[in-house]
Amino acid sequence: MFAHRIIPAHDCGVTDHVDAFVKQICEVIVGKNQAVKLAVACLLTRGHLLIEDIPGVGKTTLSQALARSLALAFQRIQFTSDLLPADILGNSIFDRDEQRFVFHRGPLFSQVVLIDEVNRATPKTQSALLEAMEENHISIDGVTYELPQPFFVVATQNPQTAVGTFPLPESQLDRFLIRIELGVPDRASERAMLLGMDRREMLKELKPVISPRTLIEIQDNVRKVHASAALLDYLQDLLDASRQRHTTGLSPRAGLALLHASQAWALMNGRDMVLPEDIQAIGIAVMGHRLGNDIEQLGQSGRTFADNLLHSVPVP
Amino acid sequence: MSTSKSSRRTQPWRDTAIPRRPLLWLAAALLFTLPPMFGNLASWVPFLFLLALVLKFWMEPRGYRLRSTILKLILAAVTVGAIFLSYQTLTGIEPSVSLLAVLVSLKILEAHTAREFQVMVMMAWVLCLCGFLLSQDLAIGLCLFVAFALLIAALVQFHRGSSPGAFWLSLATTFKLLAQAAPLVVLLFLLFPRINTGFRLRIGDLRSAMTGFSDRLSPGGIAALANSTNIAFRAEFPDRRTGPVGPMYWRGLVMWHCEGMEWRGPYAPTSISDSSRRYPASDKTIRQRITIPPHGARWMFALDRPLGSPSGAMLARGNYLYSVQLIRKPRRYEVLSSTEPVRTELDAYERRQALQLPASISPAVRELAASFAADDSEPRQTVSRALQFFRNQGFRYSLTPGEYNKNDLEEFLFHRRTGFCEHYAASFATLMRLAGIPARVVVGYLGGEYNDLGGFFLVHQADTHAWCEVWIPENGWTRIDPTSVVAPGRASQDLSSFLAGRVASGEIATGRSAFFTGLVRLALVNQIRSIWEALNYQWDTRVMGFDADVQDVLLTSLGLTNKGPLPLIMQVLVVIVAVLIIYAGWMQLRTRPRTDRIQALYERFCRKLTRIGVQRDPWEGPSDFATRAAQSLPNESERVRRITETYIALRYAPGPGPNSIHRFAKEVDAFTAHR
Repeated sequence: MFAHRIIPAHDCGVTDHVDAFVKQICEVIVGKNQAVKLAVACLLTRGHLLIEDIPGVGKTTLSQALARSLALAFQRIQFTSDLLPADILGNSIFDRDEQRFVFHRGPLFSQVVLIDEVNRATPKTQSALLEAMEENHISIDGVTYELPQPFFVVATQNPQTAVGTFPLPESQLDRFLIRIELGVPDRASERAMLLGMDRREMLKELKPVISPRTLIEIQDNVRKVHASAALLDYLQDLLDASRQRHTTGLSPRAGLALLHASQAWALMNGRDMVLPEDIQAIGIAVMGHRLGNDIEQLGQSGRTFADNLLHSVPVP
Repeated sequence: MSTSKSSRRTQPWRDTAIPRRPLLWLAAALLFTLPPMFGNLASWVPFLFLLALVLKFWMEPRGYRLRSTILKLILAAVTVGAIFLSYQTLTGIEPSVSLLAVLVSLKILEAHTAREFQVMVMMAWVLCLCGFLLSQDLAIGLCLFVAFALLIAALVQFHRGSSPGAFWLSLATTFKLLAQAAPLVVLLFLLFPRINTGFRLRIGDLRSAMTGFSDRLSPGGIAALANSTNIAFRAEFPDRRTGPVGPMYWRGLVMWHCEGMEWRGPYAPTSISDSSRRYPASDKTIRQRITIPPHGARWMFALDRPLGSPSGAMLARGNYLYSVQLIRKPRRYEVLSSTEPVRTELDAYERRQALQLPASISPAVRELAASFAADDSEPRQTVSRALQFFRNQGFRYSLTPGEYNKNDLEEFLFHRRTGFCEHYAASFATLMRLAGIPARVVVGYLGGEYNDLGGFFLVHQADTHAWCEVWIPENGWTRIDPTSVVAPGRASQDLSSFLAGRVASGEIATGRSAFFTGLVRLALVNQIRSIWEALNYQWDTRVMGFDADVQDVLLTSLGLTNKGPLPLIMQVLVVIVAVLIIYAGWMQLRTRPRTDRIQALYERFCRKLTRIGVQRDPWEGPSDFATRAAQSLPNESERVRRITETYIALRYAPGPGPNSIHRFAKEVDAFTAHR
C-alpha cells in the first residue's frame, strides 16, 4: 500500500502506537503482515474478529499475541459440541452462607476472549454469544451485566467442510466485523519460524505496547476519520452492486462495518480521511463472510464474490 | 429489477393464479373497449363479452374455471357458428372483430394463469385497435384511450405485485409512461405517411340512415328524420363570425322529376359550368367552409345558391354540388354562394324538364291549378294565389301527418290538409307545373345551431327541409318555401328550436318525452353540449381531417418534399431516428452521475495519462493508480504524486478550499506527460 506514503502522514497521535503494536505481533506471527494489520484494524473498530483456517497455522497464537500486547484480561474458551450457554456466560449458584443465589461470572466476562473452534459448539451456545458481541452486555436471570471495556472477541473456526462442525448462522457471521484467513506461511517465513524461538516462550515475553486507555482513545478517534460524500457514493455503489448481483446482498450493518473498518484502516495509515483504497484494502475481509450462501452461485465463495465486486464497481 | 428478483426468490414458482388487482384493471379496460362494439357489431357480441366478464368475477373467487377441452371446443364452434349466422360470412371487418371479441370472451373464462393474463392484455390491445376500425368518433376515441391507459395500468400493477400503495402508484406510472410517449405520438401523427390509395378497407357500416337524403322525395321521408340527433354537417364562415342575415337554406339536391306527391332527382346529374369566377367575393356572396361526416353517398351541401364547385365535386344542373366520388371519409371543402338569385337562362331542355308532369293527376287538382293561373296573368300572380291558397285553407304543419301515397295529391290538398315540408314542397311544385310555371323541388337543410365556442353552425339531420323553385322570367329561378306560409317562423330557426317553441305554446305534440325536452332546455346541459360539439368539430377537422393532402402542405412548409411514399417514409424514419437520438442523448445527460469540476479535472488528468499508455481501471482508487503510474513513468512520478495528492485532498479530505481547486486546475492544465 502506497497511500500512507503518497499522503504525508498526518500525525493523529496514534501512528506510532499502532505501528509498534503491529510490529510486535508481526514478530510472533511471521510473514502475515496483512492479516495482522486487518486484525488490529478490527480491534480499533471495536469489532470482533473471526479467523478461519485449518488447525496449526497460528490462529490461537495471533489472538494471544493481541491480548498480551494490549495488557487486557484474556480468556480462552474451547468450544465443543457439549458446551452449554451457561458454561460461557456464568451460573447462579446457591450460596449457603448468604442464603441466596450468587452469580458466578463465566469466562466471557473478560476483555479479550478467544473462542477456539467456534463452529464446534451447538447453535444454542453459539447464539449465546450474540448479545455479548453486539450489545456488550449479558443478561441472565433478568439481570444485565455490563462487560468490561474494551471487549474483543476473537473466534477461530475450521473450514465449514471439516467433520463435526455446526456452520455459524448468518446472523452470527454478520456480527463479526472481519474474517481473516491466515494460511500457511511462505517458505522464508516458515524457515524463520522454524529457526526462531518457541512461540509460547515469545508470547510470555511480550510486553504491553498500548494501554487500555490509549486503546479506547484510538477507538474513539477512528470514528472521527472523515468520510467524504464521494467516498460514501463509492461505498453505496458497492452495496447496491452487491444487492443486485447477490440474492441477499450486503446488509446496512455490513455497510457500517465497511465504513468503520476503512476508517480504522485510514487511521492506521496515518490519514484523517478515508480513501477508496481503504475500503478496497479491508473489503474482502469485511464482505467475504457476509456474502456466503448465494443459492444461485453455489460454490462461489464470498471472498471471490467480494473480490469481483471490488474489481468491477468503479470508483466515482 | 426488484420484480425479477422477487420472482426468482420465490422459486420454484408455479403459475397458478391471476393476481386480483391487475385483473380488476384489465376488466375495467375491457369495459372501455365495449362502446365501439355496441351498434357496430351484432348485438349479442358485446353482451356475451359483458357476460363473460361478470362470470369471471363470479368464478374466480370460487376457483371455478373452464377446464374441459371438449367444452371449450364446443363453445368456440358454437360462437363461430353464431357469427356466421349473424353475418352470413366470416370475412370483413365486423365479422372479424366479432370473432376476436367472442374469442376474447372465451379466453376470459378460460384464463387462470399469470401468463394467460398477459396474453389477455395483448388481446385487449388488439381489441382497442379494432375499435378504431369500427368507429372514429371522438367519444369512441376517448373510450379507447381510457382502455389503453387502463391496460398499461394493469400491466404495471401486474409487474409491481401487491406492495402497499401500489394501486395509485401504478396509475401514476401509467400517466408518466403516457406523457413520455405523447411527443412521439404527436410526431408520428404529423409525419407518418398517410396513404390514400392501395389500402381499401371498408370502415364502418355506412347505413342509409346516416343521411336524411335519397334521390327520391316521398311523403313522410323527411318527417321521419325530425327526431334524429345525427349530424348532417358543420359549416364555418371564414369571412365573418356569424352566418348570413336571414334564413339559411342549405342546398343539397334539385329534383326535376314529378310523380305527384313524390319527386325524384336525376340518376346521373349533368354538370354545368362553374360561375364562381364571375362573382368575386362581395357582400352578395358568402364563403363557407363545410365539413361533412362520411355518409356513403355523393351529396354535398352549400348555402343557397353555390356559385362554384370545390375540387372533387361538380356543380350539377340545378345549381347544386355533387361529389365525383362517394364520400366515405370526412370531407372538408370551401364553397362560395350567392345570397341573391342568380340570373340564368332557361333553355328548352330545362323548360321541358321543369314542366314534366305525371299523367295520373285528378281533374280536381288540375282545376285548382287552373284557378291559380286564371286571367292568364303573369307568373308572380299565380304564385301568390297559390300561396294564398295554402295560407287560408286551414293547412296544418305536423310531424305526423299520416300516410300519403304518391298519388294522394287530392287527398292532401282538399281533405286532410296536414303535412310536413316535403308535402308542401312537392304539392306546390306540382301545382305550379300544372299552372304552366316551370318548377322544381330542392332538398337540403334549413337553419343550423350556432356553436359559440367553435364558431360554427351545426346542422342536424332533423333540419332536413324541402322547398320549391319556380322560374320567373325577370328573376330566373326563385325560391318559394310553401312551408313558411303554413308554419311561419320555421324558416328563421332550426327545427328543434322551432318545435320547442311550438310545443311550449301547445300547438303541436312531439314524440319526445317532456323530460327530454326539459333537459334540452337546461342551460348547463346546453353549455356542455355546445362544448362537446365544439370538441367534436375540432376532432373531425383537425385529427380525422388530417389526410395526405393536409400532411403534404405541412411537410412542404417544413421543407420536406414529398415525391411518392417511399422517400417520405425514409424522411420520416430519419426524423424519428434523429429525435430518438436526441432523446437518448438527453436521457444520458440527465442520468449521468453529476460530475463536479474536480472530478472532471481528474478525468482529464487520467485521459492525459491514458494517452501515454497508463490507463486507470474504473475501480482503481486514485492513490493506487498514482502508485502504478509513478512506477511506469519514473520521470513523472513527482508530478503525478502532487496532482493526485491535491485531488485526494479536494475530494476526500474534510473541507477543502476553493483556492486549491484553482491550483488543481492549473496543475492538470500544465501536466503534459512524456514517456
